[in-house]
Amino acid sequence: MSDAARALELAKGQEGVPGRRFLDPKVLARIDDLELVARFVVEGFISGLHRSPHLGFSTDFAEHRQYMPGDDIRHMDWRLFARTDRFYLKEYEADTNANFIAILDVSASMGYGTSGLTKLEYAKYLAACLAYFSHRQRDRVGFVSIDSDIVDIVPPSAKHLNQVLHALDRAEARGRGALAVPLLKISESQHRKSILLILSDLYEPAEKIRDALGPLRDAGHDVVVMHLLDPAELNFTFDAAGTFEDLESGERIPVVPGRLRTRYTELIRDHLAAVERLLGEGRVDYLMVDTSKPVDEVLFQYLLRRERMQTVR
Amino acid sequence: MSFLAPLFAIGLAGLAIPILVHLVHKERKETTPFPSLMFLLRTPYQHSRRQRIRDWLLFLLRAAVFLLVVGAFARPVFEREAAAAPVAGGGGREVVVLLDRSFSMRVGDRWARAQAAARQALDGLGAGDKGTVVLFADQARVVAEDEGGRAVLRAAIDSSSPGDAATRYAPALTLARRVLAASTLPNREVVVVSDFQRSGWDVTGETQLPAGTTITPVDVASAAVSDRAVRAVELRRTLADGRERITVTGRVSNTGPAARGIQARLEVAGRTVASSAFDVGADAGGVVTFESVAVPETPQPATIRIANDALPADDVLHFILERAPSIPVLVIENVTPGNERDIYLQRALEIGDRPSFDITVRRATQVNAGDLGGKRLVIVNNAPFPSGDLGRRLEAFVRGGGGLLVAAGDAVTPATWPGRGHNLLPATPSDPRDRVADKGGVLGAIDRSHPALSLFGGTQSGDLSAARFLRYRPIQSDSGVLARFDDGAAALVEQRVGTGRTLMFASSFDGLWNDLPRQPVFLPFIHQLAQYASGYRAGRSVYEVGDAVDLQGVSVAASDSSRGVAYVAVSPQGNRLRIGGTQGEAALIPGEAGIYEVRPAGSPGSRPRLVAVNIPGRELDLARFDPTRLTNAVSAPGDAGPADQPAQVDRQAREREQSVWWYLLLIAATLLVAESVLAHRLSRGRVAAS
Repeated sequence: MSDAARALELAKGQEGVPGRRFLDPKVLARIDDLELVARFVVEGFISGLHRSPHLGFSTDFAEHRQYMPGDDIRHMDWRLFARTDRFYLKEYEADTNANFIAILDVSASMGYGTSGLTKLEYAKYLAACLAYFSHRQRDRVGFVSIDSDIVDIVPPSAKHLNQVLHALDRAEARGRGALAVPLLKISESQHRKSILLILSDLYEPAEKIRDALGPLRDAGHDVVVMHLLDPAELNFTFDAAGTFEDLESGERIPVVPGRLRTRYTELIRDHLAAVERLLGEGRVDYLMVDTSKPVDEVLFQYLLRRERMQTVR
Repeated sequence: MSFLAPLFAIGLAGLAIPILVHLVHKERKETTPFPSLMFLLRTPYQHSRRQRIRDWLLFLLRAAVFLLVVGAFARPVFEREAAAAPVAGGGGREVVVLLDRSFSMRVGDRWARAQAAARQALDGLGAGDKGTVVLFADQARVVAEDEGGRAVLRAAIDSSSPGDAATRYAPALTLARRVLAASTLPNREVVVVSDFQRSGWDVTGETQLPAGTTITPVDVASAAVSDRAVRAVELRRTLADGRERITVTGRVSNTGPAARGIQARLEVAGRTVASSAFDVGADAGGVVTFESVAVPETPQPATIRIANDALPADDVLHFILERAPSIPVLVIENVTPGNERDIYLQRALEIGDRPSFDITVRRATQVNAGDLGGKRLVIVNNAPFPSGDLGRRLEAFVRGGGGLLVAAGDAVTPATWPGRGHNLLPATPSDPRDRVADKGGVLGAIDRSHPALSLFGGTQSGDLSAARFLRYRPIQSDSGVLARFDDGAAALVEQRVGTGRTLMFASSFDGLWNDLPRQPVFLPFIHQLAQYASGYRAGRSVYEVGDAVDLQGVSVAASDSSRGVAYVAVSPQGNRLRIGGTQGEAALIPGEAGIYEVRPAGSPGSRPRLVAVNIPGRELDLARFDPTRLTNAVSAPGDAGPADQPAQVDRQAREREQSVWWYLLLIAATLLVAESVLAHRLSRGRVAAS
């Protein structure tokens, strides 16, 4: 039995344990195959939803529409034709054929992690899961990796799930990150309104983040921002004084964590609040993700928010 | 408390180490990667410098260890109350007045002015000051205020007068340094009242005065000096009609700008026996030679005298007119007198007049006890050792201070030499060793530091190893060996017997067993052995004030041993001095110029030994040096320099005695152990908490 199979068995075994339904990122980290992870998470997630009061949204029947020449006859409702002798087509809400583009920040800071996997890996899982999810509901999926510019791009397509997963797998943390330039390029290149999932640690002032997202929002895209942060970044759980090195700039400063912790947590809290406030004002869907949390829990929270905000179209 | 090595206090700067360690906390050397310093940079690192010291107890322990180690290396020493350090400015003065009373101070009004300067220095002393007077010439004497107040000092100055001795500054400066080093007064001053005569310059680094001492030279020398002096005498002995005559030559100097016509007289026992007139140029010297005079039977005082000038003491030079010293020697031969074999020894002894040898030669079979009378040396020249009563008399002769020199040639056999000759010899004669096969041996090891052979110690002073020895009788002795042959056998051995001494030579002086008599060194070799064995000490007809006169050379008769005898000397001014006795070697150190009369103590009627003493020749040279030279030479290198050497030595001794550093290191070691335990516990607790 391979490591991946053993991990899956272990993860499945956790389902029966109360309070352990959600998948531990550390377990997922032992699975090398990103597609397998995505499928495993999404399938389990959907099966869990069947027991949930929040019912599905993807393939629900919406209405009948009279057949027009040129329509795909595969969607013809033959039963209704038999009863009424008229041609009607079935229309489902999931059949909107939206573009889903995962925009992954691959700057060096995303390579940081203390809870079994890095922020970049965690972001890959999320992106893979949501891409798989979108693929299941027949959306076109695409992928863009960025740092201070566009690094890699997979155009959105209903057939590009594997390419997206491969691109995700290839992504490595590198370089300095800056959202403004790559997001502007994306807004200029994507003429069709899309769901843009931005996965980043957002180490920029909140105002600059807002400004960077502005062109996307102005272009009519549905922008979702997942702000990934490691627990060490949130709580600054360091003890010994030492030299801290910026993963992106290489800059070093001596730090006495005991003295800085309070002030740091205040600053990061203020930053998160500012980002949430400014992005909310810009009608950007924002979700702060603690990378120590299970992936499917984050997915659940995200989808629940989407349902409430009714932004899934 | 003070420190012997205060420079180690620089190490206190190391206290910053524990302070920084406790203030900055432990900082890991490796860097911690962090996604972004965006929020860390907003909290300046400088804040950490304002944090307080943590782990106070640990910090105090470490700081205390540091302080103790630094303190130990600085070598602390606790001062005693009396050893309070001098304070610059204010306080009392310790003033030492060095007053030159050498012969040259008699010139003109030098002495009067010197006394006035010394008094003036004492008059300047305040109530809190302390004065000391050091009177010096070739020796120095301290008159301290403690002995009876300043009146004693003034009395010492008033009552003293210039003597006949030469000038030497070193003894006076040494005494001054000693006085100042013992002083507790903060200010120190030395006043040197002198004519600063160049010939008295003997200042060395050891005469340096303590730091901070003010040196005030008072020059009392007059600008121009005019003086004539008799500086030296030379005696040349001749024999005329069988009588010994002496030609006296004197050297006279004329110091001054004008040439002088000088009338010189030769006086013997107060009677003028010759006179001569001659001219001496300005600042020049002249020689006067008198007609020869017959040597009197007994030593007589003699004088060369010139007309008195302003300094009459150096216008006369005393010497003793006496016969040349002679050592009476008995030579015991194994052959008929006049035989060729003893010619080398006799001829060697007949040459020379200082001393001469009065030789008596006897065949071994003809010698009797009466022949030992009046002799100081017996030479058994390759002859059987005297036996019977003569042997016992010879033993008594040596034990009483006489000398015995034995040459062991072919006639010295075990049959003719019973035992060790009444224990007079270091060993019995052994069988002869034949070195004909290797062309003879040589003297390989010679003790040139021994008085008997020291004459050959210098370069080009005779090569004793040039002689080849075809045969010799090795002397079986390990002690008293003065020379060895090249095969290690003893060649010349000395043995002390009673107050006399014997020398045994392992070969002969007849030229048969060796070629020593045909070597240039033979004559001085024989003379040196004879003089040493007889205990002869060369006397001088002229001495100078301050010289040491060996009184043991007074007696010339072996039976009249002078060793251990006390003497009474009567100085030219009639002072009686008791010398010698149980206090070791008898030596007269004359302090006056003139004729001393020396007699054994308790023999006031005996014929005295006359000792002629004159003003030291170098003292007659009135050339001067710049007093500043003396000031510079004896001043410590900079007043701001280290403390005076004696005080420093005293402090070092106290520091060794107290050994405070040892206790400090012990406490530091104890604290280090406590620090280790505490640091371990704190570290463990911190790890557990994290």
